[in-house]
Amino acid sequence: MTVQLSLKAVDKFYGAIDKGVHAVRNINMDVHKGEIIALLGSSGCGKTSTLRMVAGFEDTSRGTITLAGREIQKLPPVKRNVAMAFEGYSLYPTVTVRENIAFALKAAKLSETEVAAKVKEVSEMLEITDILDRFPTSISGGQQQRASLARALVRDADLHLLDEPMGQLEPQLRTLLRGRIKHYIKERGLTAILVTHDQTEANAMADRIAVMEGGVLQQFASPEEIKEAPANLFTGTFVGEPPMNVFPAVVSDTGDQIHFDLQGGLDLQYPAKDFSADVRQAMLSRRQIVLGVRPYAVQRSAEGAPATVEANQWLGDQTHIAARFAGASIVLVEHDFTDVALGSEIRVHLNPNDLHVFDAETGQALSHGAQLA
Amino acid sequence: MESVNPIERALRGIAITLVILFFMFPIFWIILMSFQTNETILRMPPSMVFTPTLENYMALITGKLETSAGILEIAFMKNLFNSFFLSTASVAIGLVLGVPAAYAFARLKFKGSEDIAFTLLSFRFAPPLLVLLPLTIYFQQLGLANTYGGLIWVYQLIVLPLILWIVRGYFEDIPADVEYAYRIAGHSWGATFRKIALPLAGPGIAAAALLAFIFAWNNFVFALVLASADKQPVTVGALAFVTASGIQYGQIAAGIVLSIAPTFALALYAQRYLVEGLSLGAVKG
Amino acid sequence: MTIVLKDIVKAFKTDVVLDGVSLSVDKGETLVLFGPSGAGKTVLLRLIAGVVELDEGVIEIDGRNMDGVEPEDRGIGMAFQNFALFPHMDATENIAAPLTAKRMGQQQIKHTVEKVARLLKIDHVLHHKPKELSNGQKQRTALARALSGEPHILLLDDPLRNVDAKLRFEMRLELPRLLKDQEATVIYVTQDYKEAMALGDRIAVMNGKGIQQIGSPFDIYMSPANVEIARLFGDPVINLLDVTPERSSDGVQIMLSGQSLVIDDGYAQSIGQSCVLGIRPEAFHFVEEGTQGAIPVSIETEAPLNEKTVTLALTKNKREVMISRPAGAPAPSSGTAWIKVDAKNIHLFDRQSGLRIDPLKTQQAQGAA
Repeated sequence: MTVQLSLKAVDKFYGAIDKGVHAVRNINMDVHKGEIIALLGSSGCGKTSTLRMVAGFEDTSRGTITLAGREIQKLPPVKRNVAMAFEGYSLYPTVTVRENIAFALKAAKLSETEVAAKVKEVSEMLEITDILDRFPTSISGGQQQRASLARALVRDADLHLLDEPMGQLEPQLRTLLRGRIKHYIKERGLTAILVTHDQTEANAMADRIAVMEGGVLQQFASPEEIKEAPANLFTGTFVGEPPMNVFPAVVSDTGDQIHFDLQGGLDLQYPAKDFSADVRQAMLSRRQIVLGVRPYAVQRSAEGAPATVEANQWLGDQTHIAARFAGASIVLVEHDFTDVALGSEIRVHLNPNDLHVFDAETGQALSHGAQLA
Repeated sequence: MESVNPIERALRGIAITLVILFFMFPIFWIILMSFQTNETILRMPPSMVFTPTLENYMALITGKLETSAGILEIAFMKNLFNSFFLSTASVAIGLVLGVPAAYAFARLKFKGSEDIAFTLLSFRFAPPLLVLLPLTIYFQQLGLANTYGGLIWVYQLIVLPLILWIVRGYFEDIPADVEYAYRIAGHSWGATFRKIALPLAGPGIAAAALLAFIFAWNNFVFALVLASADKQPVTVGALAFVTASGIQYGQIAAGIVLSIAPTFALALYAQRYLVEGLSLGAVKG
Repeated sequence: MTIVLKDIVKAFKTDVVLDGVSLSVDKGETLVLFGPSGAGKTVLLRLIAGVVELDEGVIEIDGRNMDGVEPEDRGIGMAFQNFALFPHMDATENIAAPLTAKRMGQQQIKHTVEKVARLLKIDHVLHHKPKELSNGQKQRTALARALSGEPHILLLDDPLRNVDAKLRFEMRLELPRLLKDQEATVIYVTQDYKEAMALGDRIAVMNGKGIQQIGSPFDIYMSPANVEIARLFGDPVINLLDVTPERSSDGVQIMLSGQSLVIDDGYAQSIGQSCVLGIRPEAFHFVEEGTQGAIPVSIETEAPLNEKTVTLALTKNKREVMISRPAGAPAPSSGTAWIKVDAKNIHLFDRQSGLRIDPLKTQQAQGAA
């Protein structure tokens, strides 16, 4: 795998270096050719600043950015060979959607038939064939966004940047287009960075997700890895819908039993042999930990601990149940219609294989179910 | 790009300096003049070197103007008071009438509301001289000529449209939902106006009041025609310095400095509000 | 308190937003108004609140005609999508607004505000101005303000729209209990079908100037009245395929990629008609090659989606279908796969009108499927 884009020790300050607002903090990241990367985080996490530095709309305060073998952090945007779809669409208002999409292709001196074929292909993929001859101001926000996306995707660039590309689309179209766009990018071997605050979008489209918070890259890994082995409490609770259940606990080891003392006097016990020596060591050295368990991993089982049902919400193909557990609320996901009455007692079991253990103080992950024993 | 090359920066600096010089020089020169006697002002070539004197200011404050033809009584301090009183009273009345009207125009889209609002604004377009002649006749017949009341009334032509249009823009900027929320919480329409709309439009009302004050202060024509000496504001009173024995440049300069000082101080103090208020009014209008 | 709307008409200039809407909400019920943006949900809510004037029709609250009754006299609480907090007042004063209107004593106001704030977990930020509150806290403050006067009617206008996914999820689980404790009649507006299904005792689906279907979440998901409603509920969106039911030796059948799918005899009424077949993504299952009735598809992409895995695949006729399964359930992830649908889990619509074709069976029988 060749590295297409590389960020080395990249910092962004708004204002003077080391004095102004430190928006992006020492980001190191390699993106391989043909990969789709998602920059995921809430607003103000630094993802848009990072994208804008790569695109060249923002000075790189410190560090180097290398694209296809060239250092680009000092180049103006037009010389970077980067295609970008904007969150705010920014179509050229004086020409039709078709000409907007074809603009860069014509500038690249492609033949007319070639341009027509490419425009047709991308507009069919994004379902905008019916508006190609309209002007940007006469179409809806969702259509403008797709036109902007088409204009970026149709180009043959070293890197495609997609800034919240589907925020304005109706939800019915979103899931379908995510699949199609991913297929389109993969088929052509394009390299793309997607900036989004929507984890569903990141999970659905990206090969790897870069989770950002407070300007810091929290974790850069595949969606599966982020789900199964979140690097810290932030990633664990930020990625995953419904969010991960977390419970502060105190660990103790009686030799053959590991005890987790949760709030509300709940004591979870597991055979010590279920945990590897390293993990036991790590947990006991901290004592104060946070236990995390994904909603779909919570099992209902007769031998489990009692919990009182507070909400039971059926969503068509899933049921979300919330129950009072260990002085907090625990959420379960079931994949069919589940009929448990509000106020009734259920028993929930947390399988040691599904437990994520975090250091209560630093939030760093100590172990994940898969690594236990 | 944020980076600017040094030459560009230098050029920009020079340009800004020139503009400032161009606009500030007259004010600077006037201040200098106000500390000089007529002789030093009129000498050729002009010079910045002179012995400062408070003579001009003394003359204004005591009301005794010494000219070569003898001592002349002037009522400058009275003029200053008139200016102050007329402007303040006009703005106060303008606010009482204009703010509720602005709220009505902003919130209630009644039939013809746009037309009425525009008609009110159009008072600002008409040259004052157009209305002055009939006004003078009416005022004489009604006994309003040469009264504070009459002047304040006429000043509403200046003050009211300004307040109305600026404040209306501010009211329109308050999300209607915020007011709805207060009403749904159980408060009456009047309480909503007092507790929500007024406080939130506060900065706008202040900006409008300030601007209106400055415009009223600077008015010349209305007062010139409708007021005699004892009701005249400074703008008109300054004419007294054009005397039979010559133009008293030193006193005029001192008079100008005294008369622009209050508005200048106000404008400096509330610069930010003013710019906001003006641009809002302009955009919304 | 019951709310009854009769033949409501509302237009803005020449743009008719609501055209003859009738609706009744029972005491203590939570009714969700659901629909895409521009369907008139918010306008309907504002008409009930009395802040927008009615063109035609009658609004009754507890049998009393609301014509001419000012918003402050209707005894309602309302939460707005954009929160609409009073920016110059702190959280306490915001929440106290309905109480000061009732001329309650200072001590009692303080007590009530603190109680509501504790319930909504914002008692630690009561002295903050709105601009110092996080989005989640703003939303909770707005909700607290709507609740503090203990109104008998609560109008909630998409209150979770502007908060992040995690908070939205938390509030979605918390809200039903909160609303039940209030014993108020609730009208809740949302564009999110999950919120609608999770919170509504009944859902009124608004689309195009009026209400197209009212029913329990179960009714609407299982028996959508038309293609549009079927599309609005479910993520990923329901698969829609143009088909024409035919007669077969076994009854009524639909041909899918050359495979016969025998459907309920009740659909005999539509033999030979142009129809649209709706199959929810979760109704498809991956099966072994050679299984009776299995349809071959080529897999395009696969993506996780909220504890499900969604596969985008192409049929032999290049028609796109989406298939979803619980996360972790095994399935082929590339190349050719075979899928099958249970005939009980299909929806059939008339292609012309888009209306559901009911196989003349009771809804219980369908629901049990």
